[in-house]
Amino acid sequence: METILTSASYLLDYHIVVAALIGVTWGIIGGALPGISPSITMALLLPFTYSMEPTAAIVLLAATYVGAEYGGSVPAILIRTPGTNAAAATVLDGYEMNKQGKAGLALGISLYSGVLGSLFGLIMLMMLSKPLAAVALSFTPPAYFALGILGLSVIATLSGDSLIKGMIAAVLGLMIATIGTDPVTGGTRFTMGSSDLLTGIAPVMVMVGLFAMSELLAQVSNRGASERVNSKPKIEFPSFKLARRLVKPQSIGGVIGTFEGVMPGAGGTIASFMSYNEARRWSKYPDEFGKGSPEGIAAPETANNAVAETALVPLLSFGIPGSNSTAILLGGFLIHGIVPGPMLFQRSGEVVYGLYAGLFTAAIGLLFIGMAVLPLCIWIVNRPRQYLNAFIFALILSGIYSIHNSLFDLSIMLTAGVVGFLMRILKFPFLPTVLGLVLGYLVESSFRRSLVISGDSYAIFFNDRISLALLCVSGLFVFGSIGKRIWDAIRHKKRATFSEGTEG
Amino acid sequence: MQSILSRDFVGGIVAIVLGAFYLNLAYDLRSSALDDLVGPGGMPRAYGWVMVVLGFALCAVTLVTRWREQKSDHWKDQGRRIMWAAGLLGIGIAYLLIVNVVGYLLSMILLIAATMIYHGERLSTKVLASSAFGGVMLWALFVFVLGVHMPPGLLTYVGL
Repeated sequence: METILTSASYLLDYHIVVAALIGVTWGIIGGALPGISPSITMALLLPFTYSMEPTAAIVLLAATYVGAEYGGSVPAILIRTPGTNAAAATVLDGYEMNKQGKAGLALGISLYSGVLGSLFGLIMLMMLSKPLAAVALSFTPPAYFALGILGLSVIATLSGDSLIKGMIAAVLGLMIATIGTDPVTGGTRFTMGSSDLLTGIAPVMVMVGLFAMSELLAQVSNRGASERVNSKPKIEFPSFKLARRLVKPQSIGGVIGTFEGVMPGAGGTIASFMSYNEARRWSKYPDEFGKGSPEGIAAPETANNAVAETALVPLLSFGIPGSNSTAILLGGFLIHGIVPGPMLFQRSGEVVYGLYAGLFTAAIGLLFIGMAVLPLCIWIVNRPRQYLNAFIFALILSGIYSIHNSLFDLSIMLTAGVVGFLMRILKFPFLPTVLGLVLGYLVESSFRRSLVISGDSYAIFFNDRISLALLCVSGLFVFGSIGKRIWDAIRHKKRATFSEGTEG
Repeated sequence: MQSILSRDFVGGIVAIVLGAFYLNLAYDLRSSALDDLVGPGGMPRAYGWVMVVLGFALCAVTLVTRWREQKSDHWKDQGRRIMWAAGLLGIGIAYLLIVNVVGYLLSMILLIAATMIYHGERLSTKVLASSAFGGVMLWALFVFVLGVHMPPGLLTYVGL
């Protein structure tokens, strides 16, 4: 309570309020551009923070992070292109709602859930920093490996009508994740002698290719298909009845996002996919998922916005940045001579309380700025298909190029687009590939590090309590899903086809 | 034969071929005395074998269940669709080839115009104006606002 009251006093400082509003606006714009990650969006502001007052500078960067994590959902819903890795899960139902002429509602649910997720995450950050920090510390390499396996077990649910095809898609993602430098020895793998592949293939290139580029290829190949329903250029918030229905998935997203956020390296992508999976498991309408379910947007959006807040826990408590974005934020602290860590609260308490006030302002600002900007976005996507697709093609080429200023990256994206188009024709789902790609490094590096620590004994995965618990949960997910499929097959019950990536 | 070559069966074959190719590369990875128990090739080999096995499993399931499926034309119109998609891909490849020479701004304008025309729009003042507007807007956004260095190409000669 003391923390809340002290932080509230900083809401009267207009430097903090202005910095928060500018930051969240800039973050939304950056996050909405495919290829421009939250960390790049923040890094672009770093030079401007040199001359700013320290608290305002930190608030500017942190608010940018909050805005960017939300901003990624805008293109995910409107043009099937996740602006950030974590928004990939929002594509599933967000774009389906858009195709049904409900883009305004989809964006409204995304915004509403994002604001709630940010506020929930902020409360967790303020009230539970110490216990959450203890959770972060207790995660060892075996626990990270088990967390990665838990993330991959979601594939069992996302595979649609064929678990085998889902697993093939996931292994494809895992295979792509092995390209580059070996995580333990540093040797090169599958680079074919190319220096461009030494750092591996960034997930965003494959995601944009699989989702957006393949969609463009599918649309141009589907000539004569009826035009999709245009959406009203107005953002639409959920009704009271729908808002009640969304409480459960939002709660799931908030809790999962909180815990995933505190763990360095786990990130918003795992949180959003796991939230989606759990929301579907506990939903009264699981068959709607993948076909425009509002819950399918609410859960991942709440999760990845909660992550944006709780990702600050290891940074503030230990000085450990858990992601590229928090690393940029650490840079902001260091520029002003502030060292995050155990003594931060004692030595620079005013910065922390000011940061909390700024994050609150950013969360509220997200709501109003989103309401102002999103109708324009809906208007843009209601333009004739020829114009819209041309612009999308230009945008994704520009965005991907901006990552490394490399034409090679564009060739990777185009190749991923071709692969995605062929996966559509052969009716393979995309999401398992994305999961495999994102989690592949975490799974392999944690697995091998664990064996190095244990002296090549596999018992380490069962002796570590967190690892054992997570592996058991993963096993329950996978075998439960297989058992359900067998039971449905015996009863000749038609399994709902997952619409994502199956048209072709 | 026609009924065997369903999408799932072809998918299974692709998985087997891909897995075999990947395995071949994985077994060629060098090992070192400093490697851990799994080594750089351990997980790739596991992935490769899993891919091959899953490919065979998918083919097997397809063969077992094919008698239940009604005969259907699995590949109707797919050749035509693939050709149309290849055209758009060709526009993207052409962009890659000319962007460093012509420059980002002009290449973008050409890309947008070509894509619109490929989607069925007729070459007109509206198309040219829209392409120019889109290209300039993206150029301003990425180069000036975001500070991304894009290939200047021919604009170098006019001092931009």
